Amino acid sequence: MNREGERAVVAPPRGVLVLAAFGVAFVVLPVAGLAIRAPWSDLGSLSSHGARTALGVSLVVTGGAVALALLFGLPAAIVLARGRFRGRALVRGIVLLPIVLPPVVGGIGLLAALGRRGLLGRPLEAIGIRLPFTTGAAILAAAFVATPLFVLAVEGGLRSIDPRLEQAASAMGASRWYVLRRVTLPLLRPQIIAGVVIAAARALGEFGATITFAGNIAGRTQTLPLSVYQTLQSDPGGAILQALLLVAISLAAMIALRGRLLSP
Amino acid sequence: MKRIAVALLLVATACSGSATTGGGPKGEILVFAAASLTESFTAIGSVFERAHPGAHIRFNFGPSDGLAAGITEGGGADVFASASADPMEAVARSPGVLDRALFARNRLVVIVPRDNPAHIGSLSDITRAGLKLAIAAPGVPAGTYTRQMLEKAKLTLHSAPSNEVDDKSVVQKVVLGEVDAGVVYTTDVSPSVSSAVTIIVIPDVVNVLASYPIAVVAGSKNVSLARSFVAYVLDGGRAILRAAGFLSPT
Repeated sequence: MNREGERAVVAPPRGVLVLAAFGVAFVVLPVAGLAIRAPWSDLGSLSSHGARTALGVSLVVTGGAVALALLFGLPAAIVLARGRFRGRALVRGIVLLPIVLPPVVGGIGLLAALGRRGLLGRPLEAIGIRLPFTTGAAILAAAFVATPLFVLAVEGGLRSIDPRLEQAASAMGASRWYVLRRVTLPLLRPQIIAGVVIAAARALGEFGATITFAGNIAGRTQTLPLSVYQTLQSDPGGAILQALLLVAISLAAMIALRGRLLSP
Repeated sequence: MKRIAVALLLVATACSGSATTGGGPKGEILVFAAASLTESFTAIGSVFERAHPGAHIRFNFGPSDGLAAGITEGGGADVFASASADPMEAVARSPGVLDRALFARNRLVVIVPRDNPAHIGSLSDITRAGLKLAIAAPGVPAGTYTRQMLEKAKLTLHSAPSNEVDDKSVVQKVVLGEVDAGVVYTTDVSPSVSSAVTIIVIPDVVNVLASYPIAVVAGSKNVSLARSFVAYVLDGGRAILRAAGFLSPT
């Protein structure tokens, strides 16, 4: 976003550069390993029915999860950044919990809440809705892990907006909705985009909560990561190619983001 | 896959005569099946679909105990095929089962990577210290059977094994050469991995036979199709299961 960092800076000391090289290698090596092991001559297997189906499920699940993150995560971020109420630190901690929670635990939690014997599962079942092991469940699992990252990105953006801009609009008679729509949200645009990309990347890679809450059902809940896992058991080469497809999509997303995550 | 494909063709042609009548159950069911059934049930499912136009079978493959917990907590399964009795017992308690029957048995083997880096030649060799071993975790049927087998053979492992989530993950570690040996089911050594591993037979006197029960899950929204699929596994599916290396249930 801001290009200040590219102007007159003091170069980091050599020692930092050496350690940085190790840091980069740490991430590059496994990806390079995949690329070297990949049976490139079998690249056509990526267009196999199974891989295409899994990619399709992944796109639906990721899209659904991002939609949920926008619908509920954006208001949550606004309330967390702007609201003044007791227990805000606690609410914030709970909202961000999935970032540090093992995803399998999230999956068990979703089953306990929305399963057949769950908190909300019972009333849902009474009106004929059964969520576990459906595509909807896979979307919820992905939204569960992705929404906090979206909230974090947007909340950071909100804190950096000069409150005087909103105050000025308000003082000139703008309603709260008007201030939100015409002042706050336009200023937030870069962080919302960054939040969407990072949430999408996380949703795309989701595994643990999905397999626990939504299962591993081809054409319904078997996303690309689950397909990689199942394919690895019978066809390691094919699994590596699918894994590289995931790497390529995520890398494209991260490059598209550039420095946006860091900018204030 | 070749053996299964041949069996699949045979069964398909045998069924095609009766399939044209068009009656029979339709709709979709979800079958939760043990990871060790991945190849054979996928094959049985496609033959069944061909013989029953309008019927769709979806599968959810995973460790039997995890699947059982999913059925009890989450529901949604129409048929459950387990690699041992305990997970089926759990599902029978809640939400309950119908048409329960044993449909196959399986036998354990030791597998080592093709180049056999640790020079393992018999079952007792896996007890050596300093080996890298992979076995299924306790509680997973394959893991429970493996431990029963070791006890029966009066063997104690002197290297701590890696406890994998299911038998298929053990195969994976051996195929990739990441461990020196693993204990899996005979049927896990499918044609697609057989070129990467060497099988070391476990003598019958110490081997443990895994029994696979199948049942319709109570509360299924399509009991007639679920029943018809279970009946098919017990009848037409046998040829496919045998071709994959499973033993008959009795």
